[in-house]
Amino acid sequence: MSDDSVPLALPLIRVAADPSEVTNLYHELRKPLLRYLICLGLTSDEAQDVVQDAFVSLQRHLSSGGDQENIRGWLFRVAHNQARNRQTSYDRRFGETLDGGMEFLADSTTPEQVLLRKEKLRRVAAAIQLLAESERECLLLRAGGLRYREIGEVLGMATSTVGDTVERAMRKLAEKCNV
Amino acid sequence: MCDVQAKLVAWLDRELPAEEASEVEHHVERCEECRHWAAKYRHLSETFDAYCDALMAPKAPGRVPRWVPVLASSVVAASLMLLVLLRTRVEPPPVLEPTVATPTGAVPGPSPAVELAPAAARAPHKAAVRRRHTSQAQRVQERATQGQPMDTAIQIAIPAEAMFPPGAMPAGINFVADLRIAPDGSVQQVRLRQ
Repeated sequence: MSDDSVPLALPLIRVAADPSEVTNLYHELRKPLLRYLICLGLTSDEAQDVVQDAFVSLQRHLSSGGDQENIRGWLFRVAHNQARNRQTSYDRRFGETLDGGMEFLADSTTPEQVLLRKEKLRRVAAAIQLLAESERECLLLRAGGLRYREIGEVLGMATSTVGDTVERAMRKLAEKCNV
Repeated sequence: MCDVQAKLVAWLDRELPAEEASEVEHHVERCEECRHWAAKYRHLSETFDAYCDALMAPKAPGRVPRWVPVLASSVVAASLMLLVLLRTRVEPPPVLEPTVATPTGAVPGPSPAVELAPAAARAPHKAAVRRRHTSQAQRVQERATQGQPMDTAIQIAIPAEAMFPPGAMPAGINFVADLRIAPDGSVQQVRLRQ
């Protein structure tokens, strides 16, 4: 997991009591949500719209006395469903979501190292293409820092099923790309 | 294949109950194969994460596309060329003929001021006429200059990326070049500010 992944101990209770808590949550979760949506295949603009809408929905949800348990999973679920609703772009790009876009590597280290890292990421990308959709989504949400229980809530799966899916996906990746 | 291997990912993700996690941990310490796979899964997770970042990086909001500095440089270059062209094509302002009839008759010539000076030297007895002519010439000169454009100020925004190598300046910094153009089209003053 990266250093900027979502902290595991988020304030799950009493968020509605203080609007600034929602603002803090926004600063904390905006980037992981954007990353998840962009990896799903949304453009940067679409992803920002979805994140914005998700937080507006959260505000309404909390203002109307909605459930305050597991706000992080709730936000990812809303964002995931909104991404699904943008079916056209979602369908169009889903097959190519994890391909290309490594220009940022050129900013670091030597050209040889850049080449090696690009090659490694290309192998991972090729292996990810071969995963089932649920496996890919589980890995993306896991990379976003969500627990198996939260992933299950987002995708509508049992926690044990998430565990099996993640394990199967990781084994497939390990077999298909030697990184 | 070791049976514990199926639990390694969940163990690395800290998703196993404490007791089960402890068992896996002890097993991994003894089993070389599981240790190898655990290291492989950990590395794979990091690579997957890096790939997600790689996908996000070029699409992140606020990043300046590579063509922006090129376009900005082109705009600046085009503006400067336009200024040079304008400067070379500026024609001298037309001198207006005095409209007031003079007592000595018409004074031909493009500039009454030029004509009046020798006339005053030749005929001192016509001092009154000269004074009248001089004041008329001044009015004509003033009228002529009123038709000319005053000093013009032009501001050109230049992104820092267009002037400095990538990374030398923080993103989003722009400079403004203030150009003061004289009525004859020449650049009188250039000032660069942030």
